[in-house]
Amino acid sequence: MSDAVLQANTSVDVAEPEEIKPPIVTADERIAHRGPIQRLLVSPEIGAIIGAVLVWAFFWGNGRTFGTAATTLIVLDAAAPIGIMAVVVALLMIGGEFDLSAGMMTGATGILVGLMVKYFVDTGAPMWLAVASAFIIAGTIGVFNGTTVNRTGLPSFIVTLATFFVLKGVTLVLAKRLEGKVSVADVDQARGYGPFYRFFGYEYKFENFGWRDQLFVGSVLIGGVLLIMGLCEQSFIRRTKGDSVNTRSVSGRTAAGFVGVVLAAAGFTMLHRSDGVNNNAIWGACASIGIIVAVVGLCESRYKQRSDQTGDGVDNSLPAPIRNLVLLGTGSMFLAYLTPFVFDRNERREILTWFPHGLRVAVAVLAGLTGVAIGIRHALPRLRGKFPWYRPIFSLLLSIGIGLILMVGVLTFFQLATVQALRTVAMLAFASLGLAMLMRARAQAGKISSRLQLMVGLISVLVLVALAFLVRADSGAVRFRSGLFGAMLIAAVVLTTNTLLETRLQKRRSIDPAADRRGRRFVAFGVLLPAIGMGIRIVFTNASGGAGEGGFSVTRMSILWWIVATVIGAFVLTKTKWGNWIFAVGGNKEAARAIGVPANKVKVGLFVATSLAGCFVGIMVLLRFTSVQASQGDGLEFIYIIAAVVGGNLMTGGYGSVIGASVGALIIAMSYNGIGAARWNSDGKFAFQGVVLLIAVLVNNYTRKKAQEAR
Amino acid sequence: MSENGSVQQSTNILELQHISKYFGNVTALDDISTSVRAGQVTCVLGDNGAGKSTFIKILSGVHRPSSGQYLFDGKPVAFDSPRDARDLGIATVFQDLAMAPLLSVWRNFFMGSEPKKGFGPIKWMDAEFAKVTAKEELKKMGIDVRDIDQPVGTMSGGERQSVAIARAVYFGARVLILDEPTAALGVRQSGVVLKYTRAAAERGLGVIFITHNPSHAYPVGDRFLLLNRGKSLGDFAKGEIEIAELTRMMAGGAELEALQHELAQGR
Repeated sequence: MSDAVLQANTSVDVAEPEEIKPPIVTADERIAHRGPIQRLLVSPEIGAIIGAVLVWAFFWGNGRTFGTAATTLIVLDAAAPIGIMAVVVALLMIGGEFDLSAGMMTGATGILVGLMVKYFVDTGAPMWLAVASAFIIAGTIGVFNGTTVNRTGLPSFIVTLATFFVLKGVTLVLAKRLEGKVSVADVDQARGYGPFYRFFGYEYKFENFGWRDQLFVGSVLIGGVLLIMGLCEQSFIRRTKGDSVNTRSVSGRTAAGFVGVVLAAAGFTMLHRSDGVNNNAIWGACASIGIIVAVVGLCESRYKQRSDQTGDGVDNSLPAPIRNLVLLGTGSMFLAYLTPFVFDRNERREILTWFPHGLRVAVAVLAGLTGVAIGIRHALPRLRGKFPWYRPIFSLLLSIGIGLILMVGVLTFFQLATVQALRTVAMLAFASLGLAMLMRARAQAGKISSRLQLMVGLISVLVLVALAFLVRADSGAVRFRSGLFGAMLIAAVVLTTNTLLETRLQKRRSIDPAADRRGRRFVAFGVLLPAIGMGIRIVFTNASGGAGEGGFSVTRMSILWWIVATVIGAFVLTKTKWGNWIFAVGGNKEAARAIGVPANKVKVGLFVATSLAGCFVGIMVLLRFTSVQASQGDGLEFIYIIAAVVGGNLMTGGYGSVIGASVGALIIAMSYNGIGAARWNSDGKFAFQGVVLLIAVLVNNYTRKKAQEAR
Repeated sequence: MSENGSVQQSTNILELQHISKYFGNVTALDDISTSVRAGQVTCVLGDNGAGKSTFIKILSGVHRPSSGQYLFDGKPVAFDSPRDARDLGIATVFQDLAMAPLLSVWRNFFMGSEPKKGFGPIKWMDAEFAKVTAKEELKKMGIDVRDIDQPVGTMSGGERQSVAIARAVYFGARVLILDEPTAALGVRQSGVVLKYTRAAAERGLGVIFITHNPSHAYPVGDRFLLLNRGKSLGDFAKGEIEIAELTRMMAGGAELEALQHELAQGR
């Protein structure tokens, strides 16, 4: 108790002395309010979500066919089976177990159904009988896995590894005996095939319809408004009747806000109708200014003003550290501006052509030797010290290994790096470094006075806009020119609005449950609406519709099942007692059992769910291709586990997210498709998966530590 | 609660009469008697190997006594499993805390007994109710949790013990058995747990507090049962015994004096 009292005394953070707070139910004044962004940053999915955006942008920039409606649907279709399995594997992992037979289960049940409809009693069994038996068999195997793990206490790795090999062997033997080869084909000849095909694997082709684009734009706009409202509601303090501190009237601000809304609406409508560079510029500017005026005006009439806004009595000169940061940031941005002029865009030659081959090898060897030298430096004390004889030898070998890797790295760099590549990399690096420094300067200036923050913020906006125009003028690819330019302008508008709001409004430091809940709902709808709009835009596309380059977009049932699995999984995990039990069993099984959680039942249930999902996916794949290889799914269990881990699920159980696992599956599917679209060697996907896994695990580890820090 | 407590004060909620337990030819407990009243703390003291674990297991329903009577509300009872004991309202808080460290406080609080809402067959967890209730219940015990959403792993050992105690109280325990709750804790954290132990008793529960530390037992206890090698060294009320005497008896009395003598000579 004395602890808590101490905490209370030291960490009470009173925003303003004159403020009178209404009684709050669950809020505690000792916890500093965490803004929506901070809260998102410590959620388990964050690594996967950021990763998905980056991977998408990466392949979008590299592959010409990546990112169209048709290819997006192909990516989603490829992600669906992985995603469905990743959801259940994530649940199992949160429950503290693994299932290595999950991948093979998809192949085994597929083969089983295929063989049954072809060979069962001469003419073959009707489809429904085969499907039902497959589910029953899969469920039984799940029960076996679960009870064996429970009864023996053996690691589930071992138990399910055994199941995996048994399944693999039985599948191969059956397929070879009956079919004479390791695949089963022509399943579409089975009795009662139709309804099952429609249920598991139907393809939909939707015609474009007239107001598709309006629907999309509308959903994005309304979603954007909801998102802004939600974020503001979670960040700022509501104006109360008492504070009429400021001289300008509230109604004036409201009016200005509505003028902004009208301006923005007009801008967007005209932007949609008109064409041509000049018109776009005019209406784009109109819409941007409208957005800024609307958001700032309406927010100022709703939320409390920042008290130091006038800046009276505050020294308004920039302190040296912030000034240096601003100078460094703008300097870095200028270097980014310079890179297009220094390097030639069309120069595909290797970099540093003046660098003779002999010298390259020399540099590489030098780099290698440096690595060895550093290693030896670390090994030397061990040679002299009281270490066993193998320690220094081990260190030496390690240092030589590092040296070799460095050497190979340098050589590869020389081989791969063209002037063109260096140009992009340099520009990206300088620009992001500069922006990061400016953002940091803005945050630090905000602690001193709002006027300084406004100044630094506006500098950042100007620098960003300049970069956008430079990219537009310079870039060779049409996609980059339009897409990146637009994205950067939108970022500039967001940055301006954000800076204005931060400098003019009082940030909330305490928790207000009602406002937070309202804000969260707004954000949820603000994310969901554009997603639905985007879905409509992707699905209702044909060649004449324009958005798809490759003719009709094909939507499969698999995508629907993936969404259904994710929604059910997320609901069960976070909103039901079963989810609580899964967390509990994975977090501390003995404790869970002692308190009355049926721990064994939960584990068996999870294994059964995994097996049944494997069966479902197996049948889905079978009906999709009407044939199946016995090796189908072999090795995929690790892909599922990778997807779950990338999604923020802890290998040791007790922590994780279903949505994260789904996004992880999406990342993997994007890498399959994107590597092809970029015309790279498709074997590169393995290296890609490894790198993504490593980065994701590091990010997740970090966020978990942050989330667990004492509050 | 006070008038309710005064009525219950006169009767024993739980009483053990001449309990013995044999495992084969080993006598784990021999003729032990004690009692717990509502609103009182009975401390069971003993060094390692004194029979404390066997005693807890009999109380919580893991073992049945070989002989003797186990009375609950004056009626003899015999448990087949810990679940039976729990259903009667005998809650045991074990040393390993029964918490999932990565799970939030409210999820841990309601673990295994989640409040539900919803229509028809579709039921989900009433998170709002759970959060508010957990926060309130902890506050009633005097534990002021900063953030009910924080993982239990971020709390100190003493706070975690206290959450476990509050949980047992909320879910209708009448007798609370605490298995060495202060064993792994520092001085200040032990103080926290002792305070909540007392708070639980003041809310009308009978508390059985098992420990090997007389200086922890003496401030909170109303009765003291001393065990040594499976035998009772006596069952005292608070007024009947001093802390120095308690310590001396627990450590085997004469042995400790001999040891002190030895150490003094060695120096």
